[in-house]
Amino acid sequence: PRNLKCVMHNLRKMVCTWDAFSKGRHGQTDFCYTTNDLPSPVCFKTKEKRVEIPVPESSTMVTITTNSISGTALATKEFEIHNKDISFVPLTPRILSLTPDFSTSTLNLKWSDNGSVFPNGLDAFWQIQILRKEVMEKVTQVTYYSKLTHEDIILSWNWTSDMPLECTSHYVKIRSYINVTQFVGPKDWSDWSPVEEVPGKDTEPSGSGVFPQDTVVAVGSDVTICCVHEEGQQIKRMTYGPEIYPMIPLSSRSSAIRVLNASASDTSGTNVVCILSEDEMDGTVLFVGYAPDVPQNLSCETSNFLIIKCTWKPGRPSGLYGKRRTKYSLFERISGKNVSCEVNEMNRERVCGFPVLAGQKTYDFILGVSNPIGQTESSLLVDLTERVHPKTPEKLTVSGNSSTSIRLHWFINGSFAEIRLLCQIEISSGHSEQKLHNVSVPGGKFSTYTAQLNTLHPYTKYQFRVRCSAADHFWRWSDWSRIEEHTTLE
Amino acid sequence: MAAADSPSAALRRRDLCSRGIRLAGKMRSDVVDLLDIYVERQGLDASAGVAAVEGVPVAAAERWDEQTGTQRLLENLAAYRAFRSLLAQMLEEQREQLGDADAALGQALAAVLLQVSAFAYHLEELLRLESRGPPSEEGAGPPPPPNLGLFERKLRGLGVLRELAQWAVRSMRDLRQLAKPGLGSSSAPSLTESP
Repeated sequence: PRNLKCVMHNLRKMVCTWDAFSKGRHGQTDFCYTTNDLPSPVCFKTKEKRVEIPVPESSTMVTITTNSISGTALATKEFEIHNKDISFVPLTPRILSLTPDFSTSTLNLKWSDNGSVFPNGLDAFWQIQILRKEVMEKVTQVTYYSKLTHEDIILSWNWTSDMPLECTSHYVKIRSYINVTQFVGPKDWSDWSPVEEVPGKDTEPSGSGVFPQDTVVAVGSDVTICCVHEEGQQIKRMTYGPEIYPMIPLSSRSSAIRVLNASASDTSGTNVVCILSEDEMDGTVLFVGYAPDVPQNLSCETSNFLIIKCTWKPGRPSGLYGKRRTKYSLFERISGKNVSCEVNEMNRERVCGFPVLAGQKTYDFILGVSNPIGQTESSLLVDLTERVHPKTPEKLTVSGNSSTSIRLHWFINGSFAEIRLLCQIEISSGHSEQKLHNVSVPGGKFSTYTAQLNTLHPYTKYQFRVRCSAADHFWRWSDWSRIEEHTTLE
Repeated sequence: MAAADSPSAALRRRDLCSRGIRLAGKMRSDVVDLLDIYVERQGLDASAGVAAVEGVPVAAAERWDEQTGTQRLLENLAAYRAFRSLLAQMLEEQREQLGDADAALGQALAAVLLQVSAFAYHLEELLRLESRGPPSEEGAGPPPPPNLGLFERKLRGLGVLRELAQWAVRSMRDLRQLAKPGLGSSSAPSLTESP
């Protein structure tokens, strides 16, 4: 017996292996070991050239005797194993699952850290290798760190591929290194685990298509698009928009193109076309746009204390339309109410209505903005009584049968019972200067308001019009009402 | 036509046919314009070959010249009913994919859809003249749109519009046949003309 080597996979046991040169067949081997703290040697027979024995405090004396078939001793050898000679190699990690998410081209790897055989707190390092294509080309290798907790913990790790997972098969393998601090001997990485595979479409008998299918990416992205075709077909060329792109072979049934720094696509997207032999064609559409801009000039007001109208400027257009367009929602933090906004993406100003809530004066709005590329938000805190922009006064009429005074009546559509209104009456007549007369009136609910004007000139033709605003916290005037003419009596 | 043509019926048929021919001619030019917009807006290659599209009636007719007038009308009507549904699907998809972003294409599509509907109604009028009336539409529409990727849908739309343009030409020929004096819609035409 020779070349005795002992390896620890955990801190309690070690596996010893040796070579034995012998002519012809031989019988069982006698294996004995003893340490300082053992009263007498421990012996046993084994057919293997491999035994698992306890890890010694400092060193162990081992005696190995090979025997013939009839049991007569052939050769005996003694070995002294010191702790520093024992190497520590973790067991090969076991992959529990490798789950693809095709929509995000992400692989999720789960494995057990086998921590129960180690004391708490040891540092563990996991090397994870991703391979791809028919030739299992290495794509990347990352080192993941964790701390062992004397329990078997399931670790999870995600990796996003730079190409759709459908394009070709992806493989993953893992190995570990455990920094056993109290161990003096050499430490090494475990063996690599067997590879786990996520098969590509190019392995399915009738798998074909161009991937990713109808996806959205940000302007400036680098995108890999592949064409998977059936056995026997050839790809003549692949185009992105009007341009032919060089092809990257992935397997006998799959090739890709790499678009760098993609620019914004037209409204109907950029076509990626795979022209195959016999002029067959397959393709996909790529939508290249921008994440939503932070909404600018967010402003909210009410014209009738029934609906709060918020407006904002959308900022840079996203370049995405239809079901990929940027969507807006208005969330009010105090009430917790959320409203989604119907927005016409073609007009520059954006508008969204939110109901006035009974008994609520202050509104803490968050305008949420999202599209397939990203999301953002803008917020605004308003006291509604300070954001009143009444509707245009209607049905302006004049009454009065005096030569120097009249009464004006007008209607405003809205419920202003909680505030006072300031209304401004513009008085014009042919031969005197235009005058403005302000009047403050208690707000009403869908009410008609009146004001008296005195010190007018007799037998004079006047034009009156009126506009209103909130009296206490001015925000904006309503538009002017229509002009109403009236001639005072003689 | 079951009974011999009375002079007023023949006159009415010739009037409907000539108006139909004008309608088909206008429709064809609008479809050709729409094809240009469609190819450009969808980023397609105008020369792209498109395989036969399921549910799209083919304009080319075998033994066109042996068809009776009724067969012509029935085939035309079936085709334009199918195109009406296909164009409505395309319009719906266009709105879903682009929203208001491409009003020009949407309006052009809607305009052609309107003409196709009008032409189908016109054909029904012609069939009513024969007192046999148009077949009912129940269960006759094209299959629901298959679950296609966007690029395939773009190609499918191209195929629909190309075939519609062909049908407009065929309809003009069919209606010219029907308009010929002395030819009831149920009798086969003389062999003087074929597409």
